[in-house]
Amino acid sequence: MIPLTVLKAALICTVAIGMTGGLIAWRERPTPGSVPLAVLLAGQCWWSVTLLFRIDATGIAAKAFWVDVSWVGIAVIPVAWLFFSLEYSGHHEYVQSRYVAVASIVPLCIAVIGATNVAHDLMYVGSTLVDINGVTMLERTPGPWFWIAAGYTYLLGLLGTIPLLELITSDVLAFRAQSVALIVGLVVPWLTNALYLLDALPTYGVDPTPIGFAVSGVAYLGALTRFRLFGTNPAPIRYARRLAFDRMEEGAIVLDSNGYVVELNDRAAAFLRADPNDVLGRAFPDAFPQVAAVVDEPEPTDRMVLREDDGTRAYDVSECSIVDRTGRTIGRSITLHDVSDHLRRQRRLTVLNRVFRHNVRTTTQLILGHAEEIDDDGRVADRIAGHALEIEELSEKVRRAIDLFDRDRTDRRPLSLDSILRDGIASARDARPDVTVDYDGVPSDVYVDGLLTVVFEDLLENAAEHNVDPDPHIRIDVEIETDDDAVRVVVADNGPGIDDEELAVLEEGTETPLRHGSGLGLSLITWGVDIVGGRVEFADADPTGTVVTVHVPIRPRPS
Amino acid sequence: MASQPSTQSRSTGPTALRNRSTVARARTVLERLRNALLYSSTYLALVAAAEVALVMIVLSLPVNLSPLVVGLVTFAVYVNDRLADLETDAAVAPNRTAFVRRHQRVLYVAGALAYGVAVAVAVTGGPLAFGLTLLPGAFWVLYALDYFAALGSRVRRLKEVLIVNSAVVALAWSVTIVGMPMAFTNAPVTPTAGVLFGYLFLATFVNAEIPNVPDVESDASAGVATLPVVVGVRRTRQSLYGVALLTLGLLAYAFLQGFLSTAATLALAVGIGCLLGTVAFLGRSDAERRLALSAELSRVPALGVLVFITLGI
Repeated sequence: MIPLTVLKAALICTVAIGMTGGLIAWRERPTPGSVPLAVLLAGQCWWSVTLLFRIDATGIAAKAFWVDVSWVGIAVIPVAWLFFSLEYSGHHEYVQSRYVAVASIVPLCIAVIGATNVAHDLMYVGSTLVDINGVTMLERTPGPWFWIAAGYTYLLGLLGTIPLLELITSDVLAFRAQSVALIVGLVVPWLTNALYLLDALPTYGVDPTPIGFAVSGVAYLGALTRFRLFGTNPAPIRYARRLAFDRMEEGAIVLDSNGYVVELNDRAAAFLRADPNDVLGRAFPDAFPQVAAVVDEPEPTDRMVLREDDGTRAYDVSECSIVDRTGRTIGRSITLHDVSDHLRRQRRLTVLNRVFRHNVRTTTQLILGHAEEIDDDGRVADRIAGHALEIEELSEKVRRAIDLFDRDRTDRRPLSLDSILRDGIASARDARPDVTVDYDGVPSDVYVDGLLTVVFEDLLENAAEHNVDPDPHIRIDVEIETDDDAVRVVVADNGPGIDDEELAVLEEGTETPLRHGSGLGLSLITWGVDIVGGRVEFADADPTGTVVTVHVPIRPRPS
Repeated sequence: MASQPSTQSRSTGPTALRNRSTVARARTVLERLRNALLYSSTYLALVAAAEVALVMIVLSLPVNLSPLVVGLVTFAVYVNDRLADLETDAAVAPNRTAFVRRHQRVLYVAGALAYGVAVAVAVTGGPLAFGLTLLPGAFWVLYALDYFAALGSRVRRLKEVLIVNSAVVALAWSVTIVGMPMAFTNAPVTPTAGVLFGYLFLATFVNAEIPNVPDVESDASAGVATLPVVVGVRRTRQSLYGVALLTLGLLAYAFLQGFLSTAATLALAVGIGCLLGTVAFLGRSDAERRLALSAELSRVPALGVLVFITLGI
């Protein structure tokens, strides 16, 4: 027989743990599961307290009184457990006042019948005082409602376990650990109660189930802190997955293993102008013949593009298999990505490229030719020619910008950094033949994004062209940062430096009609470096000039 | 010039530096301890436990766990109150609010644990002790939560009703402090217990109104009707003199009727003397926070005097 003092100490600990856990759970409101858990622990505390008073009470009436009123707490526990489990696991559709009320009808009867047992003997039919190892204890014969209460409690306890078993099979490990803690919290008291009902526990006839709940309390507190029971709550997962599927930018169609449409999201229905009620359950080629034609008979290119008949919209189509845990394919998912705007911009860029490449240049050449025919000792003619050349230079920059964006969306080949820099130096010398360039070269196996051709051409040309020093000078230093798999190119010149206002506009990245840069050159450098995933810094050189540092990732040598 | 500080530190040597850092560290530790004791209201828990001890000595009750229970409950209730009033307290007690805000998670868990242990220990004192332990928690809910407003009734938060606010606090604490040791020991309700209840009720009422003086502006803007808000600081001081003198009258009556021993009367009078001293400075001192603290500690000298006389006798 367990010593009575040990039994009482365990019950006192149960009260302390239950009360503390309940208050901590209460603090977490409105996190799902917090209120039912607090109620559950309060019920458990009341049960333990009444047990302690019952042990200490003298006389059959006093002992029976504490047993009777203990039912108020006992009745609360299964209902609180069930709704804790439902709320915590995200089954909010069942956590509604009317369901709580319905589930509480029997417990309410249990509490009332238990507390008023003295009047009707429905819970217990007989009570006697017995001497167990020198301790006077109450022995009661269960009545019909006792077994109703036990059966209902076990039923709700079992129902509450089901959502948690779902969580145990969840993919999220943290939640699985939480669920194990929660299952321990469930199993221990029920097991204790079952053993008590089977008369297998040496506890002076005292039901030690609340002590089992102390273990529950520890498990819950552990889950509260160690497994962050409420810190990371699984309740939204079921909804989040559904929400992500419904609200994603892409249209998605899910096919089962036999090729029937089993799910599609709102976006897919809108893209394909389909009514889900019409297409769900139909064979894929029958429901979406155009999409099926693209997916099942792909063109010999990497991309699958679905174009609408009127040519207004186009979609990138991709397909992936859905596999279960065993690796078996159980279906397919087809996603449609709207690329209409992208293709439209692409067409516009092509037109602009043509205009700047041919039309502006041709017109400028015509102006230059006509200017030469003006006979005024070159005064007006030279100014016209100068402005015409400025227009041509600007058109060249715009063309480079278009080229930059065009390369961004096409496949970009890696190029040798050395060759890129040497091309840039050649451009600088074209712009300013007397410029001195110090460059020690880079190992030829250092490759970077080919798009940087535009960047370094522009950077070196700017450094030479705008240099007003009588002895223009450019120094290029290259440092390979093996740790980061990147390369740093530092271009220093002895020119006039870059205006602070110009740099500020570049750093902000946006322009307004009142605050803007003077041209396109510096923007081209920052845009290009940004596209390749690098970064660029501008600093003043001593005594004059600019130091431009470009960090860019090294690309693998093309095979 | 720039090298001067390093030259100085070399000349004083590493031992001096170590000594200084040890002193500084000790000072930091002490400061933290003081902040924790003061801002977490742990000192109030100790004061409450001391008051229970005072009651136990006056009523000649056997030693029991009631001071522990009352101390833990006090700690839990005040921690919860500080956490609930975090927003409104920011203006009047910035340092305390900062401390509570920084440690709010730990404080809440500590408060919950204190209350859990208090309830569990109170169960060993019997059903009455258990009920009394739940009482301050229930009062705290009434006192701090807006349940009445939520119900749409015309009953306002008790905290905002003149005199009722301080009276509720005084009632809860005096019932708990006198009742808990009696419940633990199954002591009968005697006239002496009634006198102690009256004494603690009146003294706690004075205590509760004293911090309202520095809070007069924030309470007025928040619509909380306290004595200083309604009748002004001078009248408040005079009223509190009145209450303190009434308490002294109660002590005199109890002594003459033989409900209190000479030692107990003297000790309890010392407590009221301390309280009167504090009230005298109300509205006349800039150290208003210290006045509130002094009022809260005013029964501690009473316990000291009683212990001294008892041991001396």
